[in-house]
Formats: sequence, C-alpha cells, structure tokens
Amino acid sequence: MVLARVLAVAIFVVMFVLVVLDKIEKHYVTLTCGALTLLLVFGVAMRDMNAVIETLNLSSLIQPGFWIGEAPESAGIDWATIIFLAGMMIMVEGMALAGFFRWLCMKLAKLVNYQTIPLFITFMIMSAILAMFIDSITVILFLAAVTVELAKLLKFNPVPMILSEIFCANLGGSATMCGDPPNIIIGSKLHYAFVDFLTNTGLIAGISLIIIVVYFYLVFRKELVSEAVIDVSTMPDPKEAITSKTGFIGSTIIFGIAVVMLITHANTHLSVAFIGAVVAVITMIFNHKHLKEIMSKVDYKILLFFMGLFIVVGGLEQTGILEEIANFIKNVSGGNVKVMVAIIIWVSATASAFVDNIPFAATMVPIIQGLSAGNPALQATLAWTLSMGTDIGGAATPIGASANVVGTSVAAKNGHFIGWGKYCKSAAPATVIVILVSMLIIFVRYC
Amino acid sequence: MDKQIMIAIGREFGSGGHEIAERIAKSMGIALFDKNLLEIVAEKNNLDLKEVEKFDEKSRNLFLSRKVNGFSNAIEDTIALMQFDHLKECAQKGESFVVVGRCGDEVLKEYDHMLSIFILGDKEDKIARVMNKYQLSREEAIEKMVRHDRKRRVYHDSLAKGDWGDAHAYDMCINSSRFGVEKTAEILVDFIKASL
Repeated sequence: MVLARVLAVAIFVVMFVLVVLDKIEKHYVTLTCGALTLLLVFGVAMRDMNAVIETLNLSSLIQPGFWIGEAPESAGIDWATIIFLAGMMIMVEGMALAGFFRWLCMKLAKLVNYQTIPLFITFMIMSAILAMFIDSITVILFLAAVTVELAKLLKFNPVPMILSEIFCANLGGSATMCGDPPNIIIGSKLHYAFVDFLTNTGLIAGISLIIIVVYFYLVFRKELVSEAVIDVSTMPDPKEAITSKTGFIGSTIIFGIAVVMLITHANTHLSVAFIGAVVAVITMIFNHKHLKEIMSKVDYKILLFFMGLFIVVGGLEQTGILEEIANFIKNVSGGNVKVMVAIIIWVSATASAFVDNIPFAATMVPIIQGLSAGNPALQATLAWTLSMGTDIGGAATPIGASANVVGTSVAAKNGHFIGWGKYCKSAAPATVIVILVSMLIIFVRYC
Repeated sequence: MDKQIMIAIGREFGSGGHEIAERIAKSMGIALFDKNLLEIVAEKNNLDLKEVEKFDEKSRNLFLSRKVNGFSNAIEDTIALMQFDHLKECAQKGESFVVVGRCGDEVLKEYDHMLSIFILGDKEDKIARVMNKYQLSREEAIEKMVRHDRKRRVYHDSLAKGDWGDAHAYDMCINSSRFGVEKTAEILVDFIKASL
C-alpha cells in the first residue's frame, strides 16, 4: 500500500503542477495522469481490478437512481457532473447563438437610461444572477464586451465595472449548485439538491452581494463619472442583438425549463444528469439547423479534464490518503467545528486564489466526508464552508478563476490593461470581506 | 510592387538580421515592421507606448497569468495579439512588407506570398558585431547575446508551433557570416524576387 500511496500522491502533485503551469493543455494533463493512476496505482501497486472499476464508475450510468430517484453512492468519475455540465454548455451555446445575452445586457442598459452608476449596480446584480445558472465564463464574456462597448459610447472607464462584474459572477456562482464547478462536484458527490445550495450558500451569497455592491460603489464611485451627454436615440437597439426571433424565444423557454427543473429537482427527484441530458436534447432538436455550430463551440476539453481529474482524485481516495488528511485536520482542530470551518474556508480561499479551484474542491470533498464521519449536519456545514471558500477565494487574483481571466482579457483586447496591482487592489479586500461574512454566518447558523 | 510579398525574418542577436531586413525592405521598396509595429498598435488602440514597451516581444509569466479558452490575461500576450492582428490586416489588404521577429513566420503562414527567413551567424562574428555596436566588453557582449536569444526563443516558442531557429520552420536559413550583411541581403532579395 505504501508504494500505491507514494505513486498516487506523486501523480497528483505532477498533475497539479502541470495544471498550474498551463504549458500543456489541461485535459491532456489530467487524462494522462488518470491513465497513470489506473495503470500504476491500481494495476502495478495495488493489483486491484475492483479499484479500477469503482473509479471508472461506468456502472453508475445504468443505475435507475442515476437519472431519476435516489442517487447511488459512487466514487471516482462523477458522470452526473460531466453530463450536467455538457448539457448546460449546449443550452448556453444555443442562447448565445440567438443573441440572448447581448440582448439582456442592452435591454438593462436601456432600462436604466444609460446612467453610469445605475448601470454599474444593475450589471453587478445581473452578473451575480446569471452566474447562478450559467457558467461564469459566458456571463463575463458577454457582460465585459457590452461594458466596453457602452463605455466607448458613454465615455466612462470600463475597468471598475468589469472588475465588479467579475467579482459578482464569482459570488453569484457560489449561490447555487450549478453556478460554479466546485459546487456541482460538492452537490453531486454529497447528494445535495439545488435548493439545499440556494437556502445555504445562496443566503450567504445574497447577504454578501448587498455588502459587495456597496463596497464597490464606495471604491469606484469617483472613477465612474461619465463625460458624455447621453442621446438615448443614438444608442444601439437591444432588438438588434437578436439573431433569430424563433431561436431567441426557444432558447429562453429552454433556459426557463432548466431553471424550473433545477429548483424543483429535490421534489421531482430528477437528477442533475437527467436535467443536463434533457436540456441538451431539447436544445439540439430546437437548433438542429445550427447543430454543427453549437456543438463545435462546446468546451469538450473541460469535460475530458474533469474525467481525468476524477480518476486521479480516485487514486488518492482508494489509497486512503484523503482519509489521513481528514484525520490530520480533525486532530489539529481537536474536533472543534468552528476551528474546522475556519481552517477549511481560509485554506480553500487562499489556495483557490492562486490555483485552479476544481482539483482542489474535488480533493476536498472526500476529506469532508471523512471529517464528518456520517454526521449529516456536520457534513453539510463543511460542504457550505468548502463551497464559499473555493468559489470566493478564486475572485481575489486575476488568475484565481476563469471569469477573472476572460474579463481581464476582454478589457485588455480593448486597450484597458488590468495588472495584478489594479486587480487585487479592489478584489482582494472584497474577497476577504466575503470570506469573513461567510465564516461568521456559518458560525452563527450552524456551529 | 505589383505582386504582394510578405517576408518574415527571424534572427539571432548579433547576426545583422535587422540590418539585412532593412536592406531588403529598401531594395524591394516595401514597408518594414520592427519596433515601429508596437508604435502603430499603440496609436491604434490608444495605448501609452511607454507603458506597453516593456511587454513587447516577451513571453508571459506562467505563474502570474492564465489562459482560458483562448483568452489570456497576460499583457504580453495581448500586445503580441494586437501586433499579429495588424500584420494579418495588412496581409488581407494585399500589402507587401518585411516583418522582423514578432512570430511573423507563424502569424502569416496561412497566407500565400509569404516567405520566412531565419538569419544566423558565427559566434565570433556576432560577438564582434555586438561589442562594436553597443561598445561592450567581450563578456558583456556574450551575456547580452545569450539573454536576447533566450528571450526571443521563449517568446517565439510560446506563441508559435514551430521552434525558433529550427530550419524546418522556415523557407530559408542563411548564415550572415559567410557573405556579410550586404551580400546576404542581396542574395535574399534575389531569392525573394525568384519566388514572385
């Protein structure tokens, strides 16, 4: 077992370093490391075919509970997460193709009469709400692009607005199960429903959003002065963003169906895999004429990245490494839940600020299971703690989360460079504020 | 020039590659893009030239930046992309030009009428040229050469598929020490004219 453990840790460390270095495409890294885990850890060191079968977890796909009903216990590759992500990606591409996101941004800008401060506040809130259901990359991609466009027309500096939108996208993502990949992993592995997240991390994110809107307003109010005299008639018509009226109505309905299914899935017992599969199929049928275009835009690399990652983490799980880390945290905290919460939230936030939060969350989920030792209340407390730590920690630096990279990149392409100093000056204190608020709410409500 | 021709020149530091590029551009009567490319994109995008100069022809810091779905938040990458976009724009307009460095061999490889050339030189000749040009000691000249060549290799290889200085990535590689700067430029002009 010692050899298996050494190999599992070595493969995990190599994978983590290569993912952080970003020299080789991430999915190649995790798939190769996953293959090495199967071969060296389970095959050569453990000689355990059952570990391979459990980690590949293909049998879960044919279990009835995987789609509808009680979700089966599983380790290794989390197929529910992968199918759900794929389905949501296909749905989002359908919405983007119809011009939904650009229309929404332009419509809201028109509703606030193109006034800079109301626009700033509206876009922050919209960023958070959209990120609750849609991946933050898509949210920021459209929001930042429209912000730059409006900034040119209204002659204001778009950087404060983009920085605030990025932060709020990360915050909004923490509110729901489908908002951020760590939450999908946490929810799927620990069997939490959409509503569970909404009533726990959602509440924390909601309170934090109010504080953060005030914070960013106070920080940026002087920079958001528009020099332009606004002639509303010269502004782009939101309707121009819609590429196809039928496509627009259809994709909006599909989005509505997805939201309703997600909110009610605790009662309907439809799994996230089922929801992902349904929205994907409906989108594909509805957009059959543009199927090739939509499918070509789906980020299949992230799905492959997840598969490899789950196998490597499965290696740590099967060899008992994660159980030992859980025991270590338990010993350090002396079994005190508040200390456990503090350790998990600050370590997660700090790590997520600098490294990809997805491998981190995937590794921490089995540790949480170990720490809670069958106590469902403790497991839930630690799950919400991990969720807030990983989701919000990523907002602190320009490299912490995908939305930060995309937002700062869109700004740079339009001549507004955002370096580490400029980014962290507003985002790092905001992160500390939200982590503190989250920790206090968790202490008061659960400990 | 009636026919469009785009010449991408890569060069070792001290090989006289830049001077050769200048001679080719002058002889053919076409534009030369070198450091002035940064000035062009800075003006076009309302950027402060002094602010962006330090990011020109540099590779991104792997620990301080990230790439997501083709988006990079490294200023070095953005500056490079702006220059690449300008080169592609000129190429699409049918303009003829010589571009020094800036991954021209990679950026323009999809276009017809493009030739990529790499200019190298014997070590001693390069040292002598650098010592003379920058008034440096031998050690300082060697250090400067090594530093610049490393910077160019890392920048090129981080953004291009082919390797910097690898003969397979270019239409022609030539050693300027064999014929000197002037004659090398003449040979290359003949080569370019033969390809038209």
